[in-house]
Amino acid sequence: MQATDFKIVVIGGSAGSFSVVSAILASIHPQFKIPIVLCLHRLKHVRSGLVEGLSLKSVIKVLEPNDKEKLQYNHVYLAPANYHLFLELDGTIALSTEESFNHSRPSIDYTLSSAAYVYREKALGILLTGANKDGAYGMKDIAGKKGFTIVQDPATCDIDTMPRSALQLFDPNLILSPKEIVQFLNTLPH
Amino acid sequence: MQNSELSQTYKEYLLILKECSPYDFSEYSDNSIDRRIQKIRHDYHLSMPDLIQKTKSDPEFVEQVVEAITVNTTELFRDPKVWNQLRQKVLPTFKNHPKINIWHAGCSTGQEVYSLIILLDDLNLLDKAAIYATDISQKALEHAKRGSYRFSFNYEKYLTNFQGAFEQSDTPDIKKYFNINESKDTISIKPQFLGRVKYIKHDLVKEELPFYNKFDLIFCRNVLIYFNGALQTKIVQRFHDNLFPGGNMVLGSHETLNGFFKTKFAKNGPVYARTNSFHLKY
Repeated sequence: MQATDFKIVVIGGSAGSFSVVSAILASIHPQFKIPIVLCLHRLKHVRSGLVEGLSLKSVIKVLEPNDKEKLQYNHVYLAPANYHLFLELDGTIALSTEESFNHSRPSIDYTLSSAAYVYREKALGILLTGANKDGAYGMKDIAGKKGFTIVQDPATCDIDTMPRSALQLFDPNLILSPKEIVQFLNTLPH
Repeated sequence: MQNSELSQTYKEYLLILKECSPYDFSEYSDNSIDRRIQKIRHDYHLSMPDLIQKTKSDPEFVEQVVEAITVNTTELFRDPKVWNQLRQKVLPTFKNHPKINIWHAGCSTGQEVYSLIILLDDLNLLDKAAIYATDISQKALEHAKRGSYRFSFNYEKYLTNFQGAFEQSDTPDIKKYFNINESKDTISIKPQFLGRVKYIKHDLVKEELPFYNKFDLIFCRNVLIYFNGALQTKIVQRFHDNLFPGGNMVLGSHETLNGFFKTKFAKNGPVYARTNSFHLKY
């Protein structure tokens, strides 16, 4: 049932997601090919240090991209603080300082929806723990374009508002624990 | 919310806007301009034909469209590290200049204009500065001229940024520069720092510039991200032409120059110094 030729992985998360993302990046295959885009909400006054924090354990290079930067294999792109991140048709990243969406900048919905529009059935969206509904509509957009969707099992979430909002909107392909998410990712070609 | 499937439509609209107004958004980056136009249609409850009709017949509405397309996000000392770098490394190089010409291109509501004024004042350079600030949005310019911002939602962030900009040295009291009035919900730059800036409505896309002098410093932060590659190149070339040799251009922290320009500027974070010649490596 599962498509394996994904061209992009987008992971969204908020409260409690740092340790989950950190664990994923620590145990993913070091040659994991598909570009991973992270859109994570940050604490209001802690704007820097996230890329450094994630890099500590990550086996793949993590960076905050510049506007119009081209996506590369085996890289992790973290949406910079205070910018929305969009994926573009030409394989580049676009940043924007437009109004906050869902009280968030970066907004997970924006990043996921742009992935749905550009990559359609070749997009893999993963929504993690969080205390806000941002990301739910973006995940639904990915599902709507026949992309693949994974929502973190609310029972394993620090705060389950984010995954629950998504589950109210649509049925994802899989509902998984953080460990199972890593296992799933490592079944993908590297 | 995302790109409309009928991407032709907004491109056609931009051509009509260009024909019947002084504004040309046709070289804005596709994704962002599409999103802005969808937002306008949503906010004004207009179908595309209605939007086109109103644009053709109502010049005042066109101004509202321009205001709505413009993104005005800014804050005091946004990315404090950059301002700290300017304070410690860049601005002191102007100590022996008789005059410092500064242009804020796309100044929005003026927070970064006043950020720089504060640093110049702290370094005793303010009286030498000739400061110009331009924006496409008349509304933003009027706000910038007042130099007064909302206290709530802003102050905590502004204070943190302010302290970051002065890290590693004596941080002045923010009240030296701002009147803070919590009951009126305002944080306002003190009157002696107002009136030092020439604010001019100007569309960066247009060829002609509203001044005759060259610049030591050009700020253009988080503006180029809304333009496509070709337009970015054009604008950066114009900045290069209008900088004195050794002058600096300051971009947003996640903006970079493409290959060709890498030889025309020496990059230090988001601060780009105009070099005198090409670096030819043979």
